[in-house]
Amino acid sequence: MNLFAISINHRTAPVELRESLHLSENEIRAFIQQTKDNAFTEGIIISTCNRTEIYAIPRNDKISLKDLEDLIKNFKSSFQVKDENFQYFVSRESIEHLFRVACGIDSLLIGDNQIFKQVKTSFQISEEMGFAGALIRRVMDAANRVGKRAINETAISEGAVTVSYAAVQLIEKIFSNLQKKSALIIGTGETGEIAAKHLHDRGIGRLALTNRTFDKAEKLAAELNTAVFPFSNFKDHLYKFDIIISATSAEGLILTKQDIENTMKKRNYSPMVLMDIAIPRDIDPLSKNIDYVFYHDIDSLNIIVEQNLAKRKTEIPKVEKIIQEELDNFFEWYNSLEAAPTIKTLRDYFESIRSEEVEKNINKFSEEDKEKLEIITKRIINKILHHPTIELRKFSDSDLRAEDTAAKISIIRDLFGLDSKNKDGK
Amino acid sequence: MIPLINTLNILLPLFYLATFAVYFYDFQQGGKKFENSKRLFLFFTLIIHFLYLVLRTIEFNHPPITNVFEIFTVLAFAISFSYFILELVTDIRGTGPFIIIISVIFQTISTFFIQDLTEVKEVLRSNLLGIHVISALIGYAGITISAVYGVLYLILYNEIKLNKFGLIFNRLPSLEILERLSFIAAIIGFVFLTVTIIIGIIWLPQAFPNITLLDPKLIGTFIVWLLYGIGLINKFIGKWRGKKLIILAIIGFVLAILSTMITNFLGKSFHSFY
Repeated sequence: MNLFAISINHRTAPVELRESLHLSENEIRAFIQQTKDNAFTEGIIISTCNRTEIYAIPRNDKISLKDLEDLIKNFKSSFQVKDENFQYFVSRESIEHLFRVACGIDSLLIGDNQIFKQVKTSFQISEEMGFAGALIRRVMDAANRVGKRAINETAISEGAVTVSYAAVQLIEKIFSNLQKKSALIIGTGETGEIAAKHLHDRGIGRLALTNRTFDKAEKLAAELNTAVFPFSNFKDHLYKFDIIISATSAEGLILTKQDIENTMKKRNYSPMVLMDIAIPRDIDPLSKNIDYVFYHDIDSLNIIVEQNLAKRKTEIPKVEKIIQEELDNFFEWYNSLEAAPTIKTLRDYFESIRSEEVEKNINKFSEEDKEKLEIITKRIINKILHHPTIELRKFSDSDLRAEDTAAKISIIRDLFGLDSKNKDGK
Repeated sequence: MIPLINTLNILLPLFYLATFAVYFYDFQQGGKKFENSKRLFLFFTLIIHFLYLVLRTIEFNHPPITNVFEIFTVLAFAISFSYFILELVTDIRGTGPFIIIISVIFQTISTFFIQDLTEVKEVLRSNLLGIHVISALIGYAGITISAVYGVLYLILYNEIKLNKFGLIFNRLPSLEILERLSFIAAIIGFVFLTVTIIIGIIWLPQAFPNITLLDPKLIGTFIVWLLYGIGLINKFIGKWRGKKLIILAIIGFVLAILSTMITNFLGKSFHSFY
């Protein structure tokens, strides 16, 4: 199978080089438009912040992997990228690499399932651009299966592997239902904004914001439809919240142990979570000594992240096994796309229909007609299959590329459901 | 029928141990391998145990509630059965090994010491006594489960406070859920202990005309009942929560166990029947 793949990713190139080859959705469409009429007949292009990958089937044997590399470099005018910044794959290796990407074991954050969605979006673009033929569709079907099986059958995507997810995982070990809880975000910089959006997405019951620059907090509050407190008096409202996430860029502490003690008294010591994700820290770490105060900073959240990443790594062998199984299944199908086995399967299929119908109706005929019935029905089947058989033989004798032959045979197999019949037969 | 009863008596601790092993393996390893099938182990063990209790009742012509080792086997059943229902209703699956181990202990002690008792005192054949004992057993199952969830709450509370994110952190439900489960089990325990005490007060003078209210079992049960009562009232009026309430539930459980042991093994009480 002549499927090429090139990849520039977090392991092969620094961020500035990856950026230089990054393709936006519009650029992917333009690149496909330019490519499909010239060098390649079908393919997929995946471009994320950590990788740009092109999978494509060449139009003829003269086209090489180097041509694919030159195409993308010319398209982006990115000539500083060297050969060693690319990984190259052909045939089975290409599909194996796509499977590894789809299930997240090739990602920077192992088991990241965002990439699975991005691979599916890339395929959608290829389909819309008419760049996804029968083979690429089959490859994507298998990649989808690998992605789903990896999620369902292994723990490769389990546990939080980012600080903001770890914070939510920790909060959910204290409170059972976020919808009944309230949270205050102190500081609406990038980290605070992510935390606020994250809690909002998780369905937090009540969310409020405070920030030294009031306008900035108001802007985010309008987007998330939440309350805003002026920074000058937010401490007066602390007791109303079950979760406090602090992410300011203040130099010193903004909440002392005494502030937290006063708040807890007002709350009648109802449990309170303090997530200090600021550097330097915003909340006095000694607050953790107060009963029912669950104080955690970046370091403690990083412990969770590291543990979960280590656990995901132990799941890789299980995912590799799934990949090998699906690769074997794919190539079992692909190898059946040769003319001879297809002719045989097609004839067997028609013969099974003929013999079944004859058997059902044989008693309606006299003894001397029974033999004639066999001969006539066989003759009909032979006549029906004569032309398709000749055409199928031509596929293997002609100068057609293997991929084109496979694509045509694949249509025939799909049309008569030959693969599903084979499986049923097994 | 006696050989069958004896065989089941020997097999029961092994069944409970196997069920505990499956629950513990699932707790330790996680994943989906035994997520559902472990329930079948528990269900099968409970069916066998129920059959054993029925056979004993038929063969010895009295329900197995006439001495401490008969009561231990019923208690083992009541605790695991209550947990089984709790797991089905709440779908909280991570706490099984901590409850089932209690059944393993009670059933093992019972298996070693239970006797084939055909002769029981006439006083123990009363219907009121039957309700009294069953109610007491459900009450004890309630406070046992409440104490187990209480201990788990305290462990998880400390692990979170100390940034220890190990197996307990990953597998147990949230602190709020553990507190709620402990509280619900304590309410059930308290209600049934109340019924037990009321029936005891009605039935005692009929059965034992010379009863003294200074009996150690009566005093022990009353203290346990009082502790739970104080705890629950303070919870309802919103004064106590979390650790304080849970420590009280654990103390109540320890006192209940001590009172049973003192009554049956050390002290002289009308509750010692053999």
